[in-house]
Amino acid sequence: MEPARKVDHSDDRKKAQSKGINRGNKTKKRMTKSFKEGFSGYIFMSPTIFTIGVFVVIPILYALYLSFNDVQLLGGIGYEFIGLENYTRTIDDERAIIALKNTAEYVLIVVPIQTILALLLAAALNSNIRGKNAFRIIFFLPTVTSSAVLTIIFMWMYNPDGLINNFLKFLSLPTYNWLADPNIALKSIMIMNIWATAPFFMVIYLAAMQDISDSVYEAATIDGANWWQKFIYITVPILKPVTFFVVVMGLIGTFQLFDQSYIFSGGSGGPNNSTLTIVLLIYQYAFKSLDMGYASALAVGLAIIIMVVTLIQKKFFGEEKLHD
Amino acid sequence: MKKSIFSKTFVYTVLITYAVITFIPFLWAILSSFKPLEEIVSGITFLPENFTLNNYIQIFSKEPLFLRWMFNSVFITTCMVILNLIFNSMAGYALARIKFAGRNFWFMLILVVLMIPFQVTLIPSYLILKMFGWLNTYQGLIIPGMVNATFIFMMRQFFLNFPKELEEAAQMDGLSRLGTFFRIVMPLAKPALAAQAVFIFMASWNDFMRPLIIMSDEAMFTLTLGLNTFKGQYISFWNLIMAASTVMTIPSLLIYAFFNRYFIKGVTFTGGK
Amino acid sequence: MDMKINKMLATVGVTGMLLGGVLAGCSSDSSSGSGGDGDKTVVELAGWGASPEEKELLQQTLEAFEEEHPNIEVKHEVVSDQYMDVMKTRLVGGEAADVFYLDASEAPGLIDTGVLEPLNDYVTDDFDLEDFQEPLLNAFKSDGTYYGFPKDFSTLSLFYNKEAFEEAGLEGPPETWEELQEYAEKLTVDEDGDGQPERFGLGISQELARQFYKFQPHGGQVTDSEGKAAFAGDNAIAALQPVVDMYTDEKTAGLPSDVGTDWGGDMFGQGKAAMVIEGNWTIPFLENNFQQLEFTTTELPTINGEKATAAFTVAYVMNKESEVKDASWELISYLTGKDGMEIWTSKGFALPTRQSVAEELGYADDPLRGSFIEGSAYAQPWQAGKNLPTIMNNFDNQFSSALLGEQSLEEALKKAQETANKEIGSAN
Repeated sequence: MEPARKVDHSDDRKKAQSKGINRGNKTKKRMTKSFKEGFSGYIFMSPTIFTIGVFVVIPILYALYLSFNDVQLLGGIGYEFIGLENYTRTIDDERAIIALKNTAEYVLIVVPIQTILALLLAAALNSNIRGKNAFRIIFFLPTVTSSAVLTIIFMWMYNPDGLINNFLKFLSLPTYNWLADPNIALKSIMIMNIWATAPFFMVIYLAAMQDISDSVYEAATIDGANWWQKFIYITVPILKPVTFFVVVMGLIGTFQLFDQSYIFSGGSGGPNNSTLTIVLLIYQYAFKSLDMGYASALAVGLAIIIMVVTLIQKKFFGEEKLHD
Repeated sequence: MKKSIFSKTFVYTVLITYAVITFIPFLWAILSSFKPLEEIVSGITFLPENFTLNNYIQIFSKEPLFLRWMFNSVFITTCMVILNLIFNSMAGYALARIKFAGRNFWFMLILVVLMIPFQVTLIPSYLILKMFGWLNTYQGLIIPGMVNATFIFMMRQFFLNFPKELEEAAQMDGLSRLGTFFRIVMPLAKPALAAQAVFIFMASWNDFMRPLIIMSDEAMFTLTLGLNTFKGQYISFWNLIMAASTVMTIPSLLIYAFFNRYFIKGVTFTGGK
Repeated sequence: MDMKINKMLATVGVTGMLLGGVLAGCSSDSSSGSGGDGDKTVVELAGWGASPEEKELLQQTLEAFEEEHPNIEVKHEVVSDQYMDVMKTRLVGGEAADVFYLDASEAPGLIDTGVLEPLNDYVTDDFDLEDFQEPLLNAFKSDGTYYGFPKDFSTLSLFYNKEAFEEAGLEGPPETWEELQEYAEKLTVDEDGDGQPERFGLGISQELARQFYKFQPHGGQVTDSEGKAAFAGDNAIAALQPVVDMYTDEKTAGLPSDVGTDWGGDMFGQGKAAMVIEGNWTIPFLENNFQQLEFTTTELPTINGEKATAAFTVAYVMNKESEVKDASWELISYLTGKDGMEIWTSKGFALPTRQSVAEELGYADDPLRGSFIEGSAYAQPWQAGKNLPTIMNNFDNQFSSALLGEQSLEEALKKAQETANKEIGSAN
């Protein structure tokens, strides 16, 4: 952590210097320039603002509105304002608490493992080795396959006499009932998802590593740094914005775990609620019971949890470069 | 020197082990697509004992709409990739590089958007599409998906690391912001764009829930939906499912192989050469 | 900066809510948009996916309908997955098909919302209501009003492997549940003696849909008159304990997932269970995929001295928002009428709900299908009020944990009932 900070500070200093120079040269043009900048900023943003506004923000606000109402959607839409009742209902909802517990366990185990695995794989691939392309294509297979297909393949491998148990038997290791045992089912999903998601983040790391200048490493090589030192003291600190992205996306993705639980449990979150996640619970309330008000309240609650965790992690990472 | 050999061996061991772990499930699935159903269900054979192409022939010959589904998927996905690449990169660039009023607000908004599970917005979005009369149309799938908060965020993080000097030079030469972006920045952002293109291709190609709700006419189905109709209510044709899954995965793999070359070092711009 | 964001959020928020209100207003009164093509009236028909053979059979039935009604064109839509979720979304948006499939278990909930067209006024004497099997007809009736007519059904029968019976020296099927338990013990094969049988005597399924019919012979029920869960009690324990014992102690019954299969038919076909309790749909599956298998079907063994089985049935219902109601009725009355049903059920994928059609097709004498027809006389439709989805979900979860021995059956049932009723209570 210490050297990382060092590099970062020097980086900031450089930036401050260059900013100073810019300012000195362009004071006169500042007003018109900032107007121009603002204008072009909005031109760049306009497709995004339109699409996200119409198809994401309005639906979210609508959902937010629903969360304060007792909603009837079918047979004529009807609302009845009930204040915070949908929110207080969660406290009493045993399954909501189980879902939260399962989701938290899932996030805490999956995010660190998949991030570190992605970073290490990317670093290994980015080093000077043969057969890079072959490795890269193989590693990427899970990411190019639809999650439905992956889940089908894994349900198959997780069979009591499927590939995985046969392999464990071959090694004289204990076998498990991967999907039917409540103590194991969630872990089976974890293993599968780490396996499937790590390469996705690996590609992002890899793309970012391509952008790191050789000269940085050359200097370190002259100083006698080995591969590991270069990785820890140069690569990791430079990749900080990307790691921020990877961790945030990992958190959001894991908090929103749905597909795999849904397919593995046939939508029930079983066995014995062991694969019940928050989003699966939201889905059940929204579509099985058509209780959109309560489903929306749960979703807003989840969004708040994710936001808080993201903010905590931002602090943990140090100040992220918002103002470049 | 010894240390370097040791670390090389270590790197290879890690890579090869992981490659095996990754490859086996796929190999197994692909091999299964060449087996008759009886062989698949009668237990574990790794290599097909009764090799057959019948599964592939069946999915192409028995389903008259198969080619139409393929076209729909290709058309929708192509539009999505092109629009997303342009719009996400523009937004990501603006958020990373251009100083404009409300920049932090928009960035926070995009982060918030990412945090809401999409199941919640499903019914409201459906009502909006209905209001526009876009249900069961191509634009109903394409336009709501033509930007993606995830990749705006990703592009922003990429552009934060982007060297400034080139843009500044371009602006000195009198290029406008848009001109600089399309002529200078985009061509240099190839690794990130390639990554993004692959991700968007796959997300769109494999999307299930949205087409399921939006497309009601069988002729408008995407490949994912179409293949799902192979699965009867109670009857599992694993042989067909595996063949169909293989057919579905091949285009993604080809796209990845194509874009893969842009990841390769040498195209990048920051290097000394 | 925070202030600014709050202000902006507030503005956007108000606009959004206004728009949301407008959207909601629009959606409830706009048309379903099924217009005419020339002089032809187009009727949209939605259902879930089925095997290619079934799809072709439906196509034949629809063609026969169009021939008889040259002024009507049927547009068939397939919802390939998560059928009810998609249908509910489309109903909310006012975009649902004119006529669609509805499973009996979902019927009370959907009828309750008022999105279905009451059909009493359309029914003529020619339609011959008396001809339907009564329990199946009643599954779509509420307060004397019919909201749909059952297109086909299946009951549960006992499938058994003849070879396995011969090997075990068993003759004829078990008559009572106690006998079934003894049979299962003789039929279970565990060659390597690891406690994990290669072939179970009985393949079971832990879902409420496959267990509920056992309550009634013991005097129990799934729900009370208010639609709340009411199965926790000695009745249900007496009904379910044998299954739990067979699974946990005797190890003579297994779940499909224990032997790496998807469902009972698959388990039975692969020879991993000598008996399974499954529906009519299993017959074509076994005939197509396991041609060597020698099997037959029989009525379920009696429970507490009474005959009991479940009936699964699906109806055609009409969307209340439909703009072509008369044509829609023509379609429904054809498909559930004698002619249409005869074509649709002619191949035996599903069984006819009309007695006259069943007689015509001779299914009562069919060696494989006869037991299903017999069962329909006393079958209990899979249906239990509008809260069934919630109840089912909680039962399935708790019962599977009882099967795993994590809690006693009594505790599991109690917990399932309490949680379900709490959820139902706070939803209303």
